[in-house]
Amino acid sequence: MRIVPLEEYCIGCRLCEIHCIVQHSKSKNIIKAFKSEPRPIKRVEVEEQGHVSFALQCRHCDEAPCVTACLSGAMQKDPDTGVVINDTKRCVGCWTCILVCPYGAVRRDEVEKKAVGKCDLCPDLEVPACVANCPNEALVIVEE
Amino acid sequence: MASYDYDYAVVGNSAAAINACDALRGRAVEGTIAVFSEEKYRCYSRPLISYLVAGEIAARGMYYRSHNYYRSIKADFHRGVKVDSIDPSGHELETDSGEKVSWRKLLLATGFKPFIPPIEGLEEVKYVTFVSWDDAKRMIRLTAKPLKALVVGAGLIGMKAAEALVARSAEVTVVEKIDRVLPLALDDEASSLVAERCRRAGIGLVTGEGVALLEPRGGNRGRAVLEDGSELDFDLLVMAVGVRPRTELAETAGLDVNGGIEVDGCQRTSSRDIYAAGDAVKTMDLVLGQESINALWPVAALQGKYAGLNMAGAEIAFPGSNSMNSLEFFGLPVLSAGIVNPPDDSYEVITRRGENDDYRKAVLKGSTLVGMLMAGKIERAGILTSLIQERANVRRIKDFLLEEGFGHINFPRSVRESRIMDARAGLDEGEPAGDQGGSR
Repeated sequence: MRIVPLEEYCIGCRLCEIHCIVQHSKSKNIIKAFKSEPRPIKRVEVEEQGHVSFALQCRHCDEAPCVTACLSGAMQKDPDTGVVINDTKRCVGCWTCILVCPYGAVRRDEVEKKAVGKCDLCPDLEVPACVANCPNEALVIVEE
Repeated sequence: MASYDYDYAVVGNSAAAINACDALRGRAVEGTIAVFSEEKYRCYSRPLISYLVAGEIAARGMYYRSHNYYRSIKADFHRGVKVDSIDPSGHELETDSGEKVSWRKLLLATGFKPFIPPIEGLEEVKYVTFVSWDDAKRMIRLTAKPLKALVVGAGLIGMKAAEALVARSAEVTVVEKIDRVLPLALDDEASSLVAERCRRAGIGLVTGEGVALLEPRGGNRGRAVLEDGSELDFDLLVMAVGVRPRTELAETAGLDVNGGIEVDGCQRTSSRDIYAAGDAVKTMDLVLGQESINALWPVAALQGKYAGLNMAGAEIAFPGSNSMNSLEFFGLPVLSAGIVNPPDDSYEVITRRGENDDYRKAVLKGSTLVGMLMAGKIERAGILTSLIQERANVRRIKDFLLEEGFGHINFPRSVRESRIMDARAGLDEGEPAGDQGGSR
């Protein structure tokens, strides 16, 4: 499963970023996530210039450079689901994955401890939060 | 057909070896695998020893794979066993206990060893190196009480040792012969940013100065006399001048070695059933356009993976490597890739200074990005690394490379689509899967 951005439909509203943050928050409540809890990092990023915009998150590469480069072994690709997941407990925050991700889709996440965070395709949801909450269907899921 | 003790024997147990095992097991489902390690540990992450000494991770955080890793890949793990010699034509290796083991295909993942320079008096003083788990344990034991430590060498290993020693409440001085810290990984500007952080943390930095003489003072204590005549007393001496590839096994086996084990595009040595990967091996540097050793964990891991695939018969060429470093000292992250110190003025250099310690640099050769460095704000640095590795023509996006919002938005649409929207192809064949509705 991969999330594909369709830039001709993206209106740059950044609701994907907001709902990503909410989904990865403690309470999963939009007010609490933004006002009273430690705010998680966004795992999707809207790139925007002029009237062009699109949202980008981890591509869950088949040959993921972040997995090969990971010093601690925290970054792994699940052989069954194909999802690239970072085990933040094992991650030491060396930033090597940030150095090698061609999509810029891994970011520093020091909210709880020194580690990186990235798209996990929302394992608890049927449809990832960014896709489900895009008002213009500019993020779509492709099954492979 | 001859029968062997093992289909695949792997000498070494670190990044290259383990990624080779993973790749082998991924392809050669039936073959038997043996891993030989002269260390007693299950595979662990060597670069994490500074985190261990600094107390940032526990011992269990050192392991690169789960506790049942060898069983899970059905490999025999020969721990604490040193391979003494290899007989390429006889398809046999001999261990330090005299045991002979035959193999169908062999991987040399022998890594590096610390380089100890000849310094007058060095034989009389006690010193430690900082490259293994045992080294880390030794350092933890020796720094049970606060002491004065002298680190010789301000490369990555020396600086990481210094940082860990500060966390162990040691009073640390680093002596470096070249005139700045991290001279290979960083440029002048980034080096001075790191040096400033280190000084503020209490590390004494003496650059542009070599150690002329070492004198023992009993136990681990001693005195260093620098080339300018100044003297430094220490309770602990760390030698971190550099590393060298461990090529002895390859050399005595008669394989081609020239400053590193030589391999073809598929990680095969000059002997057809012996492969090599990791810090002992020379491979093509994509940026320099010549064979060189990039002794880096990610490079070793990737070489190992290709070696494993090819040992299993894949015939897939290693894509090449480039130098790159991800460092952080006292809260300042610095990421770099490719050439950060251009050798002559045929290169174009673009720099950008932001607030605090934010600093970015791009090095171009003609229209090709050949190097980058980002300090402070490091987000999305990998996009630049990938442009370097792809040897992409960046002429049209040159002015945006160091901008904070730089990303795929700056690429021409066709490039962007081929890079990030590959999966669009799948859209033409059917309806997108899943409920696309906005309500939940």
